[in-house]
Amino acid sequence: MWSLALETLAADRGKLLTALVGVVFSVVLVNVQGGLFLGLINKAGLLVDHGQADIWVGHKQMHNVDFPRDIPRRWVHRIRGIPGVRQAEPYLVGFSEMTLPSGGFEGVVVVGLDGESLLGNAWNVEEGRPDAILQPDGVIIDQCEGQKLEYPKLGEVREVGGRRARIVAMSRGIMGFLVAPYVFTTYERAAEYLHKSPDLCSYFLVELAPGADAAAVCDAICRYIPEADAFPKNHYSWISINFWMTRTGLGISFGAATLLGLFVGMVMVAQTLYALVLDRLGEFGTLKAIGATERQVYSILLAQAIVMATVGSLIGLVLVLGIQHFYSTPRAPILVPWWLSLGGCALVLLICLVSSLLPYQRIRKVDPMMVLQS
Amino acid sequence: MIADQTRSWSDRNPDDCAVYTKGVHKAYRRGAAATPVLEGIDLAVDRGRCVYLAGPSGSGKTTLLSILGCILSADQGTVRILGEDVGSIGRDERTTLRRTRLGFVFQRFHLIRGLNAINNVCVPLVLQGLTRPKAQVRAMALLEAVGLADRAGVDPRNLSAGQCQRVALARALAGDPELILADEPTASLDAANGQEVMALLKRLTVEQGKTAVVVTHDPRIFHFADRILHLENGRIMDRAEQPAAAMAAAGG
Repeated sequence: MWSLALETLAADRGKLLTALVGVVFSVVLVNVQGGLFLGLINKAGLLVDHGQADIWVGHKQMHNVDFPRDIPRRWVHRIRGIPGVRQAEPYLVGFSEMTLPSGGFEGVVVVGLDGESLLGNAWNVEEGRPDAILQPDGVIIDQCEGQKLEYPKLGEVREVGGRRARIVAMSRGIMGFLVAPYVFTTYERAAEYLHKSPDLCSYFLVELAPGADAAAVCDAICRYIPEADAFPKNHYSWISINFWMTRTGLGISFGAATLLGLFVGMVMVAQTLYALVLDRLGEFGTLKAIGATERQVYSILLAQAIVMATVGSLIGLVLVLGIQHFYSTPRAPILVPWWLSLGGCALVLLICLVSSLLPYQRIRKVDPMMVLQS
Repeated sequence: MIADQTRSWSDRNPDDCAVYTKGVHKAYRRGAAATPVLEGIDLAVDRGRCVYLAGPSGSGKTTLLSILGCILSADQGTVRILGEDVGSIGRDERTTLRRTRLGFVFQRFHLIRGLNAINNVCVPLVLQGLTRPKAQVRAMALLEAVGLADRAGVDPRNLSAGQCQRVALARALAGDPELILADEPTASLDAANGQEVMALLKRLTVEQGKTAVVVTHDPRIFHFADRILHLENGRIMDRAEQPAAAMAAAGG
């Protein structure tokens, strides 16, 4: 049946091409839309994902890494005393402004970290060194924010929160969900930039001792400090992502666009299969006349739908790789994990199979008598 | 009762006949109106015989052939094909009977587009569950038998009408059927090709011991028949035992 299905499908190249365009369109749309969505939404947990901490401790009901509430820095001693905690350091996140050479200003997110452990520091540092923040007035900014910050150079001096800041290193690709660029510096300097008391901080970044259970340590932290919440890294990253998902309707808009693409793909595949069937009604009648069962006839359609889905998916995935390679940037990353590609292709296959049901309904009505009446 | 041998009707065992019908009636209905097409067809065709159904358009030839091919059901009467009472079996069993024991040749060939000659011949074998390599060996042997071995890989669009009908003939024989049903097999062919195809059909059916029922109104091929039954207004009118008599009746 497969060879029969394939050869007859290949004979109608024009229609096959139309169907493949539909499948490719669906695969590319699902993967690129999904990849853009994942790339964007993953920015919401960027600091957490790359912060090197196993556990994040913050104010009760903390819900977004970029919008923390101040907590007393002195809690750190209680956390350090909990079994399983190898290291705990205060971390400061807050909003300030950076002056620009043109006389303007740009809102920035100041991130202050412990200068000794450098826990939660900038990553992918391409110019300068990560520990350069220990230098007087040292800050790290990201190369990709050059346009917003009017292309600062290494060694250039700016003001952040009315205080002197010297760019000592530059990272690449640290662009958060917010439009404000991140500025990494030491905890004490960050407190100055944010005009905060150094007795307050936003989080405690906790590194676990080898073999320690993250969930158990989080429970212990919450028991010792009832006003605090503690989450393993992945959990807090998800909380931060979920904040934007649920409060902005981002997931719905991306999902709707993706569903629309799938629907268009489905219509194209269904229409093409239907046109193929209409064009070959006599041949299906012949097959029935010479003894093909309903199941055999449907298996021809199914095989054609599977071939369209498979070939279309492969072409689509190659295109997705190309799009990802050429168009994914730190500003608009396209993250296409294997499960998205696999899920997208499975969905497209399902759609193709469902699409084959419509022409099958037409074939069911074909009377083999028609071949004797012509 | 029209029998294709001289024995009387009462002597015949329906199970011994390739085709046996008794009192077959068929009418096409449109709304409340019914147009009778077959009215009391009694027929017995012995195995290994080649019987033609002749008659003018609308006489019921194709309807009778469809009933014999288990594509259409009779409204009334008994139809036994190769010993099977097809009136008492379900649609699936009739499909199986068509697939495994019957072979069809159509007026317009009805070859599958996109499949070359050999793959068209493979279709019934693939439907029977044969693997493609085994099917191709059998299909090639049949194409050799119809003189088209050198055209096996050719798309039917590039074959002449006569060659297409020979491919269709090979396809009809592919599943090694016991009964071949042909519907106007020469209607789309010129005289020379028509003679050639019918000679081939006759030779292959005789060589392989098949039974053939051929619908035609082409008197030029009557001499290939063992017996010709003339239908008119849904009844078998001409009881000629010899082809020559039917040819004379048809003016051929």
